[in-house]
Amino acid sequence: MDRLREKVRNLLQEGKVAGYLGYMMQDGHPLPHLFTPERLEEVAQAIVAPDEARYPLDKLLQELVSRYPDATFAIQVRGCDERGLNELYKWGQLDPGKVVLVGVACTQAQADYCECPGPWASVIDYGEKCEPVLRSRRVDRIDALAGDEAFKEWLASFNRCIKCYGCRDVCPMCFCKECALEHPDLMSTGKIPPDSIFQLVRAIHMAGRCIDCGLCEENCPADIPLRVLYKKGNALVKGLFGYETGSPESGLSPWKNLGEESTMTTKPL
Amino acid sequence: MADKEFEPKIIGFFCNWCTYAGADLAGVSRLQYPPNIRVIRVMCSGTVSPHHVLRAFQKGADGVLIGGCHLGDCHYLRGNFMTIKRMRFLQDLLKFTGFEDGRLHLEWISAAEGPKFAQVVRDFTEKIKKMGPSRLKQTPKAA
Repeated sequence: MDRLREKVRNLLQEGKVAGYLGYMMQDGHPLPHLFTPERLEEVAQAIVAPDEARYPLDKLLQELVSRYPDATFAIQVRGCDERGLNELYKWGQLDPGKVVLVGVACTQAQADYCECPGPWASVIDYGEKCEPVLRSRRVDRIDALAGDEAFKEWLASFNRCIKCYGCRDVCPMCFCKECALEHPDLMSTGKIPPDSIFQLVRAIHMAGRCIDCGLCEENCPADIPLRVLYKKGNALVKGLFGYETGSPESGLSPWKNLGEESTMTTKPL
Repeated sequence: MADKEFEPKIIGFFCNWCTYAGADLAGVSRLQYPPNIRVIRVMCSGTVSPHHVLRAFQKGADGVLIGGCHLGDCHYLRGNFMTIKRMRFLQDLLKFTGFEDGRLHLEWISAAEGPKFAQVVRDFTEKIKKMGPSRLKQTPKAA
């Protein structure tokens, strides 16, 4: 923790960043906090949030940047947060030149819980690299089900939805001004549970964009296994287009350009 | 009603330049194909968003047929590159959630392929008939 605090203090003192978005204990809760050079003494209380307390810092950063577009900010990132930043750079939502990473490596318990294939940031200021989880058992289980069983299971989940939009509102990658989920021509209004396609529409938007932070699922009051759906979406995007979501090396999202040529073939009737 | 043969509702999204013209050709050539298909003309198959397909299923379509120009023949040069990306992805996602991916079909039909158009519509209608009503429709929740 000292190493992390030292780095943050230096960044703030040298004026390299206008603020550091991290966590602080407040009233017994680990909460997101913006550390500024004006209140340097707070840095001594900067913490890495424990496993079970995670917030969409990427989303808070977007909000900050919209208010202070010229400022540079430092931000605490886990592996997923950094993937999110990479994806946000690609979609033109953030400027990579104005973000400084303070990286965290997740614990093995967290990585196992998330079934995370990349549980550490590219710079590590706290924690040790652990074993990544390369295959999701939850996805494999659904894959193994017969069509009608999978349908029954998903429909039961979807019908629990209370349409709180919590999944969308917490999602660091949901930055659209207008949302298809609220478009009256695309989704029935005034109806609970919502259309069965509600979660599928979101899954489509999340494909090649979801960075698998899992906040949607933790946020869901109806315990819909959203993460499984989005994990599969990303796996499909990787299989079909070779696109690794959140990787700085894999170029632009397949949904962002038409491509110079197409070698895909239609499925037979 | 019970002994009546199941007549599926099929929504067709056809591109203005190829498949719609192909449908026209099938028509003027007096080729027979089942009337289960409801055609929606779009300027390019690349404009068909997965939203539209999902919305069609939600509203009670038993099948969705997308028709576009052959790759390389797109009036807008590469619009249909996006069509196939989207639809292949959507088919796989539907399969994962058990929504029967076979109900969504993409076919390249040019303006000169009237007979192919009629054949595809016949085959697709036959296939959907065999599959029966959409699972989404059988649930009381899917209004």
